[in-house]
Amino acid sequence: MIRAEGLTKQFERTVLSEEEKKKNKKKKSKKESFLAVDHVSFEVQSGEILGVLGANGAGKTTLLRMLGSLMKPTEGSVSIIDKNGELVTDPIEQKRNIGYLSGNTKLYHRLSVREMLMMLAEIYGIDKQKAEDRVSEISRVLDMDGFIDNRIERLSTGQTQRATIARTLIHEPDIYIFDEPTLGLDIISADAIVSFMKTQKDEGKTVLYSTHYLEEAQFLCDRILIINKGRVICEGSPDQIIKRFEADNLRDAFHKVMKNADELTKSAATDTADQLKEDQSEETSGQDEEVEK
Amino acid sequence: MNPATVKAMFKREMLDILRDKKTVAMMILLPVLLYPLLIVGMVLVMNAVASSQEEKEYKVAFDLDNSIQSELSDILEEQSDKIGYQLSVLSKAQVEESLAEDESDDAEEKENKDIYEQALDAKKLNAFLRQTEDGSFEICYLSAQSDSSIARSGLTDLMTLYRDRVREELLKEAGLAPDEILKAADYSSQDLSSTEESVGYQIGSFLPFLIITSVLLGAMYPAIDVTAGEKERGTLETLLTMPVSNLEMILSKFLSVSVIASVSAILNVVSMGCAIAFLVSGSIAATEELNLSINFGVFVPGVLFTIVVMIFFAMLITALCMCTCIFAGSFKEANNYITPLMLVVMIASYAAIIPNVELTQQTALIPVVNVSLMIKSLFGLTNDYALYGMVLFANVAYSLLAVLVLSRLYNSEAVLFADGFTSVHIFNGRSDMKKGQMPGGGDVILVLAATLLLMFYIGVGAAGLGFYGVALQQAVVLACPLVYAWYIKADKKRLFSLNKPQMAAVLGGIFMFIGAFFLAMILGVVLMPLFPQSTENVMDLSNFLMGHNKLLTVAIIALMPALGEELLFRGFLMGTLKEKTKPVMAIAVTAILFAAYHMSVLRFFTVGVIGLSFTIAAYKSGSIYVSMLMHFCNNLVACLVDWYPDTIGQIETANLSDAGQTGLFFLVLIGALLAVIVGYILLDHAEKKRLKKQ
Repeated sequence: MIRAEGLTKQFERTVLSEEEKKKNKKKKSKKESFLAVDHVSFEVQSGEILGVLGANGAGKTTLLRMLGSLMKPTEGSVSIIDKNGELVTDPIEQKRNIGYLSGNTKLYHRLSVREMLMMLAEIYGIDKQKAEDRVSEISRVLDMDGFIDNRIERLSTGQTQRATIARTLIHEPDIYIFDEPTLGLDIISADAIVSFMKTQKDEGKTVLYSTHYLEEAQFLCDRILIINKGRVICEGSPDQIIKRFEADNLRDAFHKVMKNADELTKSAATDTADQLKEDQSEETSGQDEEVEK
Repeated sequence: MNPATVKAMFKREMLDILRDKKTVAMMILLPVLLYPLLIVGMVLVMNAVASSQEEKEYKVAFDLDNSIQSELSDILEEQSDKIGYQLSVLSKAQVEESLAEDESDDAEEKENKDIYEQALDAKKLNAFLRQTEDGSFEICYLSAQSDSSIARSGLTDLMTLYRDRVREELLKEAGLAPDEILKAADYSSQDLSSTEESVGYQIGSFLPFLIITSVLLGAMYPAIDVTAGEKERGTLETLLTMPVSNLEMILSKFLSVSVIASVSAILNVVSMGCAIAFLVSGSIAATEELNLSINFGVFVPGVLFTIVVMIFFAMLITALCMCTCIFAGSFKEANNYITPLMLVVMIASYAAIIPNVELTQQTALIPVVNVSLMIKSLFGLTNDYALYGMVLFANVAYSLLAVLVLSRLYNSEAVLFADGFTSVHIFNGRSDMKKGQMPGGGDVILVLAATLLLMFYIGVGAAGLGFYGVALQQAVVLACPLVYAWYIKADKKRLFSLNKPQMAAVLGGIFMFIGAFFLAMILGVVLMPLFPQSTENVMDLSNFLMGHNKLLTVAIIALMPALGEELLFRGFLMGTLKEKTKPVMAIAVTAILFAAYHMSVLRFFTVGVIGLSFTIAAYKSGSIYVSMLMHFCNNLVACLVDWYPDTIGQIETANLSDAGQTGLFFLVLIGALLAVIVGYILLDHAEKKRLKKQ
């Protein structure tokens, strides 16, 4: 199980307001901080698939990076309960329980698939004999026997994709975080990933993933978060969301949500503001603990 | 930190680097093949040239009396073994004939020159002899042509033989013993250094450059590969998904690049050594009479120590390269950033060649230069192990520092997830510049470094210009930030705070300055006993000012620094910092750098106090004109003190530290503090009013 509590990430960006654009001469662009992710809280249980939807720039990738401990949240925290039922808060320890995959997690081209997997196993502290067994098992499951000793730079796109999945499997994580895993793949490769996630869910693993393919999300997800400007503006199972917006399918519902996105974002902000007041004392003490650690 | 993780990551990095063809080519092929080929090839070419020079006949002519001509021809025939090159003498008729073949020559040119000169120009003749009116001889040749220079040395040999013969005859005629007289007070030079010493000296003059360059070349590609290359290939994010701490990550990267750089340097040295050994053994075989027996054993401690220092030096270079490359988003970008670093390091490695630059306690602390000088000194068989220890220590310290910086950078998400470095704008073309942008942190460092470097060069180059050299330096300080700001199309008004100040701010600035001035004076008096050498500087200044026009002096000593230094520090530096950091940071950094810029320990504190007052005033008033006025007043006082030492000078140098003057001391202190407080209040008031207006 993975839980996000008030996750917030602040970035700096260059902003030009409309007036300034017109004048342009007198005043120039100004650095402004903004919240890419704004107080997002949720929980994903074991055996559940959570889909994160949203337009480009909504904050999906930043949210998932924080959940995968690739980025430090400006505020809030991530906690994980591992397969032994123990609470894990240390970011590096959390990574041991997570299989993270995104469009940016490329593989080392100059290594063979086997070398890469063995290297990963060593980093995760799996002993050699066990690692070899694990690699041959993964190779069998993902049907990689034909190319496992080839260098990754010589693999086809589909083969590379399988190698990428193999990377997330090596340490047997119980949480998978996939950031747009099917983006740019052909139907067969994409379906392979979708069925992979489904299998993992059936095995009782926790799956979080973001996508732009709404049919896929409707079919796969137990629960969906729709994000806009860093805030959760809609949450529920696909069926609940479709019903709430009186839509035919998830795609239709998504369009309706996005039409009212600004209003929903504002109300989400007031909600979090109210919640913040309640949570504040609790949260700060939690942060202090983290600092001490 | 888990050593097993570092080991696993290190293995992976090494495998990755070694499978990159570019790195392997740079690291192994270049040293193993290129150097031996280059050296052996060069020697072969030189031998071929030398033997062809010996076989070739050089055409010479004698524009002399017939009697001398025949005598010279006799010597040439009899003693040809004593003349280095083969000379064939052309008669006047032959020279004329050779010229007749060639008719394209300019008629006008022919009129002014005799036929020998014409023949020399037309390359029909390599050199000729002639006699001047007073009876001495001249060897005429063209220094720009190598054949002509060789013919000249042949003629020089000939003339030496001729001169000795003539003198001998004259002495005999006079009834004297020619042998005794001609050999009286004869001398020769004798090199008493051992073969090892002279060989060591030769090696010491080129080995530092070779080692430093090979460390650099060895480190460069892998450093780019593990930082920018990793970003470009998209594996950085993969790396971040692994349960690896930042420290483990950079340590593994750092170690692998260091190993590659060290191995590359060792390979270079070994391959160079083999090539040289091959050469030496070849030359021993060729010239048996030359007794070249070198005891290479004496160099063993030097070689071992060099290897130890080199490993730490490789670490330093690795960390520097990685610190530079991490800002780049791609291989190409990283290459751009690393080129200036390479140039600086390579130029510094030339230190060993400069005569009179020796390893001392000071030079032992200068990075790169110390390694260069140490290797030179080690091979010069000097046993100054205390200094070598210092070099080793300095390299260890610098590399640790660099690793520390590196680990900080690897902690920064802004750096890791950024596409590239945007804080140095000058790498873009001017047409790409966004109008009205503000410079970044990299720009500031670049401008400060460029200004200091230019000032240093002008200081050295224009040392003879004295007063005007200072003016030139000040002009550079003025020009650098302005030109840079123009190039990047910065918003000059905002960057340099070119705003009209409020009256209150001007008044506040003046109070602030008066207070700070006396505070600095008190501080100077208190600190003076600690830094006694500083008084000399003051004396220098007054000698310097003497005898110049007062208006000119004010312009150069007071006005120009007030404009230039303010634009650089309170303008470019503070203007940029103001955008990026908190006010306290902007003010502190500006004041400290301004004080450090004056390059004196005592003045660091006194100028620091005054500079702080300038900085606060400029910040609070939002106008650079206030600090310019304060700066002008300050430097003007220095001029006045110098002109009127009896009146104004008395006040300045009033001996506040005297036991009897304790009352005065505290009076001045309290007055100064009051002035600073009043100034600050006025400035604060002006700032509030200004902000309200906006």
